[in-house]
Amino acid sequence: MNRRSALKQMFIMAGGLMIATSCDFSPKSPSIQLKTISLDKGDEDLLAELVEAILPKTDSPGARELNLHLFVMKMLDDCTSPEDQKTFLAGLKAAEKVKGKPLADQQAYLTGLPADDNFFKILKRRTLQGYKNSEYVMKNKLKYELVPGRYDGAVKMEG
Amino acid sequence: MANLNIDSVKDRTYDAIVIGSGISGGWSAKELCEKGLKTLVLERGRDVQHVKDYPTTNLYPWEFEHRNELPYSVQQENPIVNRCYAFHEDAAHFFVKDQEHPYVQEKPFDWIRGYQVGGKSLLWARQTQRWSNFDFDGPARDGFAVDWPIRYQDIKPWYDYVERFAGIAGDKDGLPELPDGEFLPGYPLNVVEKYFKQQVEAKYPGRKVISARCAHLSKPNQIHIDQGRVQCQNRTLCQRGCPFGGYFSSNASTLPWAAKTGNMTLRPNSVVHSILYDDKQGKAVGVKVIDKETKEEIDFFAQVIFLNAAALNSNLILLNSTSSRFPNGLGNDSGTLGKYVAFHNYSARISAEYEGLLDYKTDGRNPAGGGYIPRFRNLHKQETDFLRGYAAGFGAYRSASADESGIGADLKNAILQPKYGNWGVGSHMMGETIPKESNYVTLDGQKDAWGMPLLKISVDYDENDAKMKKDYLDTMEEMFTAAGFTNIRRNESSQAPGLDIHEMGGVRMGKDPKTSMLNSWHQLHACPNVYVTDGASMTSTSTQNPSLTYMAFSARAVDHAVNELKKGNL
Ligand SMILES: Cc1cc2nc3c(=O)[nH]c(=O)nc-3n(C[C@H](O)[C@H](O)[C@H](O)COP(=O)(O)OP(=O)(O)OC[C@H]3O[C@@H](n4cnc5c(N)ncnc54)[C@H](O)[C@@H]3O)c2cc1C
Ligand code: SF4
Repeated sequence: MNRRSALKQMFIMAGGLMIATSCDFSPKSPSIQLKTISLDKGDEDLLAELVEAILPKTDSPGARELNLHLFVMKMLDDCTSPEDQKTFLAGLKAAEKVKGKPLADQQAYLTGLPADDNFFKILKRRTLQGYKNSEYVMKNKLKYELVPGRYDGAVKMEG
Repeated sequence: MANLNIDSVKDRTYDAIVIGSGISGGWSAKELCEKGLKTLVLERGRDVQHVKDYPTTNLYPWEFEHRNELPYSVQQENPIVNRCYAFHEDAAHFFVKDQEHPYVQEKPFDWIRGYQVGGKSLLWARQTQRWSNFDFDGPARDGFAVDWPIRYQDIKPWYDYVERFAGIAGDKDGLPELPDGEFLPGYPLNVVEKYFKQQVEAKYPGRKVISARCAHLSKPNQIHIDQGRVQCQNRTLCQRGCPFGGYFSSNASTLPWAAKTGNMTLRPNSVVHSILYDDKQGKAVGVKVIDKETKEEIDFFAQVIFLNAAALNSNLILLNSTSSRFPNGLGNDSGTLGKYVAFHNYSARISAEYEGLLDYKTDGRNPAGGGYIPRFRNLHKQETDFLRGYAAGFGAYRSASADESGIGADLKNAILQPKYGNWGVGSHMMGETIPKESNYVTLDGQKDAWGMPLLKISVDYDENDAKMKKDYLDTMEEMFTAAGFTNIRRNESSQAPGLDIHEMGGVRMGKDPKTSMLNSWHQLHACPNVYVTDGASMTSTSTQNPSLTYMAFSARAVDHAVNELKKGNL
């Protein structure tokens, strides 16, 4: 990246995601740069609603606040086969009918999909993966230690 | 050689040359330098300096762009290395990618490599079990390959020697088939591993479950602190390179030690093309290198050469070192060069659950990985319809997990309050394969970007391996059942050879120059100032992980070489 474009794009490390907040892109562009698929801002907004339907805000942040829709997009773009990308995008298109609807309707839509629906499987798997490995959850909830410094193979559990 | 002047030849002359800077080359370099020899270490890959060049070592899981998954395109472009269990976002930069260094698979062979300063020592799983006389007298007893020219007593002091420096954690178990060593404290078995140990040892005389021995500083001694290494912190993120020097790698241990003597010149990006043999002097005089970057050809000279490019690459270099005296590869009077390649059989696993001891869990991480079941088949006498036997890993683990079937707030709560379920237990086989003439490597007509012929690999499993694998699965299933484990799942993989990453042979040791390449000191019978001390030299493969033995061989061979140099014999 040259200096000029580096200056034009300010990247924020949000859970390893590069979020471009520049006005380089039209308002229709998504917040992260995509390489292999094309999604617009509208798709991103729909995804944000859907990940929130899977893991909503309770007394702790929901998926949307943790930017998991961006993580799902990233994994879809980089770590997903072209076939799965295709079925996912088709599934996303179909889900547009619940865009803007109440959370309960969106949840009903997702759980109403056939058990082997690839779109929902990918969406849920990536949402959960992003959630469990998010900085928020790993620091505050399921505490992750880089350096345990110990091993005890027989810890007696309470109760 | 032709266009270079005399002075420059002097500049390119050393006492010793080491080819390769991985586990065995690091040891050769350390020993040569400590004994005062000006030593040139040639490494085809880039430089990797301890800590400084471990870019991922301190990253948290969320700091990996893809949470440690590799992009789909990377996986597709690398079908071979992608099959290695450790090839992920955190360590991918230490593996050779398929396209970078192609080879020809006459039969499927997953050749897993690390081309950089440190070689595969950055990536290995650090299991370090000694070999015993059951291994060294195997070919003679069971009538395959050729007799090893050495026995355990020859190598024992050198095991002691390298273990003290490298730092090996282990228990004294008193088993002749798995000799004890100079250990740091072993890592404890966990409560279910101990339970399985008791069950097995009570019900099956002759079978043992011990703590796996591993190259970790469980409690460092002064010699490790002198190397700048500190106690292993149980991160188990070792394949990223360890900032503590908690496990043994060339980068953390032998290479900096060699450098400290002032006698080492390390030249990365130096692809060794061949060893130069001088007909008039009747010995090897140096090596030809292709600079990786400039593709320039440069010759370096020395009195003694240690070949440590890892088993198959050492074969490649010798096959490519032709002269009028050795038209079929350096030292290849026997015609055995490239043949009798063998490996380990890691192609079966078994897993199960244990519903007992549910009031216990583990805390922290065990760098040794758990338990080890030394070989018990055909040990004292032939008792099955296959030759030799297998060792096995055994581990038990218990972690909290959640029911992830739902959606919404319930799902979120479930994830945030995971529950402990049954223990999981698992084992994998580590079988000995029999070296055969029909398992070989040769040179292909095609050349790589540096003018090296591509290696053609023709190596396969045989009926003996199939029978052994079945016996492993049947036997473990029986032992798991006897221990009260449930939901037992046998897992046979159809993986190609190579994925075990323990390829050996092709430049085997032996007493008779007519049937082997190296003598008991790792010297080429026909060109004694060239020593080969990596896996290429192995006459047979045993069931134990091999790298500790390469270390001991390297140290022992350098001691011999330096004495021979002093006597003027090389
Ligand atoms: C994931 C993984 C797990 C493993 N687990 C274990 C284990 O638990 N226990 C165990 O004992 N072993 C294990 N191994 C195997 C172990 O890493 C190797 O046995 C060991 O590294 C071999 O040492 P070496 O010196 O022969 O080769 P390497 O360590 O591979 O070093 C060879 C060096 O030579 C260089 N080289 C090659 N060709 C040339 C050339 N033409 N010119 C110049 N340089 C050249 C290479 O770039 C490399 O740096 C594992 C390996 C991997 C990858
Ligand atoms: S387990 Fe030990 S050696 Fe491995 S990364 Fe952690 S501290 Fe380093």
